[in-house]
Amino acid sequence: MTELSATHFLLLSAALFIIGMVGVLTRRNILVIFMCIELMLNAVNVSLIGFAWELHQLTGQVFALFVIAIAAAEAVVGLGIVMALTRRADTVDIDELRQLRE
Amino acid sequence: MSLQVLIFSLLACVSILGALGVVIARNPVHSAIGLVLSFLNVAAIYLIARAEFLAVVQVIVYAGAVIVLVVFVTMLVHPDDLPEFHGRRPLRIVTGLVLGVALLLEVAAAVLTRSLSGAPGPWTDEAVAAVGGNTQALGQTLYSDYMLAIQLTALLLLAATIGAIVLARPEAVSERVAAARRTLTISLAHPRGLDQPERPPALPRPSDGQVKPAGSGRPIVLARSANEFTEQPAWGEWRTP
Amino acid sequence: MERTVDWLVVIPLAPLLAAVINFLFGKWWIRHRAHWIAVPAVGVSFLTSIVAAWTVLSRHERLHQPLYTWIRAGEFHVPVELVADQLTVVMLLVVTGVSFLVHVYSIGYMHHDPGYYRFFAWLPLFVFSMVMLVLANNFLVLFVFWEAVGLCSYLLIGFWFRRRSAAEAAKKAFVVNRIGDFGFALGIMLLFTSLRTLDYHAVFEAIPQLSSGTVTAIALLLFTGAIGKSAQLPLFVWLPDAMEGPTPVSALIHAATMVTAGIFMVARAHPIFLASPIALWVVAVIGALTAFVAATIATTQFDIKRVVAYSTVSQLGYMALALGVGAWIPAMFHLLTHAFFKALLFLGSGAVMHAMHDELDMRRMGGLKRWMPLTYWTFVIGAAANAGIVPLAGFWSKDEILVGAWVGGAPLLALVGLVAAFFTALYMFRAVFLTFHGQPRFDPHELHPHDPPATMAVPLVILAIGAAVTGFLGVPPETGWIHHALEPVFESATHHKVSLSLTLGMALASTLVALAGLWTAHAAYVRGTISPAAVAERLGPLYRLAANGWYFDVFYQRSVVRPLDAAANWLWRTVDVGIIDGAVNGSARIVALTAQMWRRLQTGLVANYALAIALGTVLLVGIYLAFGSTLFR
Repeated sequence: MTELSATHFLLLSAALFIIGMVGVLTRRNILVIFMCIELMLNAVNVSLIGFAWELHQLTGQVFALFVIAIAAAEAVVGLGIVMALTRRADTVDIDELRQLRE
Repeated sequence: MSLQVLIFSLLACVSILGALGVVIARNPVHSAIGLVLSFLNVAAIYLIARAEFLAVVQVIVYAGAVIVLVVFVTMLVHPDDLPEFHGRRPLRIVTGLVLGVALLLEVAAAVLTRSLSGAPGPWTDEAVAAVGGNTQALGQTLYSDYMLAIQLTALLLLAATIGAIVLARPEAVSERVAAARRTLTISLAHPRGLDQPERPPALPRPSDGQVKPAGSGRPIVLARSANEFTEQPAWGEWRTP
Repeated sequence: MERTVDWLVVIPLAPLLAAVINFLFGKWWIRHRAHWIAVPAVGVSFLTSIVAAWTVLSRHERLHQPLYTWIRAGEFHVPVELVADQLTVVMLLVVTGVSFLVHVYSIGYMHHDPGYYRFFAWLPLFVFSMVMLVLANNFLVLFVFWEAVGLCSYLLIGFWFRRRSAAEAAKKAFVVNRIGDFGFALGIMLLFTSLRTLDYHAVFEAIPQLSSGTVTAIALLLFTGAIGKSAQLPLFVWLPDAMEGPTPVSALIHAATMVTAGIFMVARAHPIFLASPIALWVVAVIGALTAFVAATIATTQFDIKRVVAYSTVSQLGYMALALGVGAWIPAMFHLLTHAFFKALLFLGSGAVMHAMHDELDMRRMGGLKRWMPLTYWTFVIGAAANAGIVPLAGFWSKDEILVGAWVGGAPLLALVGLVAAFFTALYMFRAVFLTFHGQPRFDPHELHPHDPPATMAVPLVILAIGAAVTGFLGVPPETGWIHHALEPVFESATHHKVSLSLTLGMALASTLVALAGLWTAHAAYVRGTISPAAVAERLGPLYRLAANGWYFDVFYQRSVVRPLDAAANWLWRTVDVGIIDGAVNGSARIVALTAQMWRRLQTGLVANYALAIALGTVLLVGIYLAFGSTLFR
């Protein structure tokens, strides 16, 4: 543990990912859930970059780039959905959205 | 413990704190601030990992664009629509925490009991420097080996843009009229009972400025002046029942 | 000598086209004009057959036309080829010739039937199938069209399918034939597994390589098919019931052509049978017994069509007897003559039915000679030919069969044949006398019997001429035209020297026997010196035995049909309703109950679903950590 290695990156990645996951599981505000998902995607990027650094590869970075692009797309669509939701259902509380049951 | 590890640990700690802030904060705006904090520290960690280009992208796209978008939407959401953070679902919070801790332990065990194997690739620091830096190296890789992927990503972004526009577009006037028609009873003898979609029907008369539509717990604040109906109403103020 | 030609296909193609056209367009467009398509098509087929016969018989060469390769799978190679040799062309002439006449007759007979177009679709289809059966050059194609004629027979017996008895008769014919066909199929399979080929020529070349046991098994299995198709003992029960079909169908299919397919097949496969003396013996014994049993039954029937039907069974028995004793050419000769006089008899009885408004019981006829002279005389010619009265067709061919049986080492069977010949004459003239002589046993004021219209009369006359003269194709015995024609096919068969005295003696014996039968019939039904009722009384059980068809139907009903019925009933009530339906319904109920429990899980809350996903992740990662080294490598 004296020298920086991929292990450090992986631990950080795991921590961020799981914090994000717990957020998704426990929060009720869809906006916060949305931010937690961004956090999880970011955590994945950390591990990808860690591997790329350790192995002198660029593939990890390329993948991280794609993840960022897709996260951006997801942000756009997700926030669009949030807006549509507030307009139609008057709420951003996922506990009040039970249409999946019908 | 080298300086590198020290800096990494500091940055990682701050980033984790930021992430915790996202989850714990009551106010979504505070969450967003925590997220920015986390993102910026991660960007700094990218610099340690010699991914300068990605660090910049992280700052611009995540900490910049996405967060701005999130905050913007947060502001558009009516404060009354925001749910309570605590209460009602303690079981779920406990389960989520237990699952999180379990997964963290599992992943930590997996990471710590295994070591990285595999031959190192060609992109040593010298090789990256030889082509002119991280950005150039990444560019070369992207536009040679991942040509198709990057084109498809462009397509995806386009599709996402169109999707967002469709989702966020205000409903057309005719739809509003149709929705009103469905819910309001209009006598067939009345001239308005004829099919005249260009004239929106009258909304329920507000009694002292407020009306309580059926099925909704919260009263709707209606516009005071009739002229306001000709414009697209502000978000959250005018709703179809 | 073999010559490849390209016009042989016309013979099967013309009736096939007629059948297809009538079937597709008959109901709406063609309707009562259906015969304008069917009759010329069969006529073309007949003319082409004449050309083929002339070519084959005058130049002594085989005609051959490859059509296409049906199956090519490894060493299993089945080409569809038309081959016409001497045996084939004789069959072709019989099939297409009689078919043509029956088609013409049907124009008058089936007139006003609502299924007219259907009749003229199935009838050419039958001609097509039969012609292909005859022209086939390997056993598989033979089998396919063997089944096809069975199908046409089914369709035509059940032509008036709204009548329950007709539908059941069709079903019975099909099922009984299926028993024989099953054996036939097994024989073909055995043939293929032992010789790896089904081509006639190759099979016959390779027969000597087989052990005698295998050859006997093959021959007996093939003959099983013939037993079913040619209505031999003990599978003849379907043929009398097949009289439920329209009379032209009875004449064409159940007398003149299809039922002879079994005889033809055995003749075609004679090298196989020649290699197995046991099989030949079986064929001969079954043939002789069939001839005798059916003749006794025919004597006791009162339904005119049934008399003729049992007579058909009896005559087919003669043919099988001839095949069994190695008298191949007489068998084919009898097939030829029989086709004429039996078609004539059926069409004649059809004319009687037509005149009597579908009355079939001879006890309610009588004296018809007065009103239907043409029908009477043609029917008498047919009956006399069947009975073997000199010099009509049946005499020559039957006589040759009896001679063949005598010299073929089966004098006992020849005697059985002679006894059957007595009964043949008896029942034939019994039918003639009961139907046409004496006083009418119906009310002539209500029914006005009359001779049939021209389309029905002309075929009767032509067939009567045929029944009268075709016998001369085999004159003088053993060296007639037909013998020379068919000689090349049966080269490998052993030839017996027949002394002139034997020929004359047998001719004399059979003539005397036939005249005795005629005299008995005359005494019983015209002069009244013998009382049939008293004879029946005296014979008692024997009479009842014959009158009930030797109880074959009863036996099958008791031993096969009823147990099967009971078994099927049990399977239905217990296995199907109880176990299978129970299992299906039970599993559905279990699913419904489980679903009632599980549906509580569907809360509609996204958060709960996310929790489930997380739980799954935790479990998967846990499994990976615990067993990863063994599971994932």
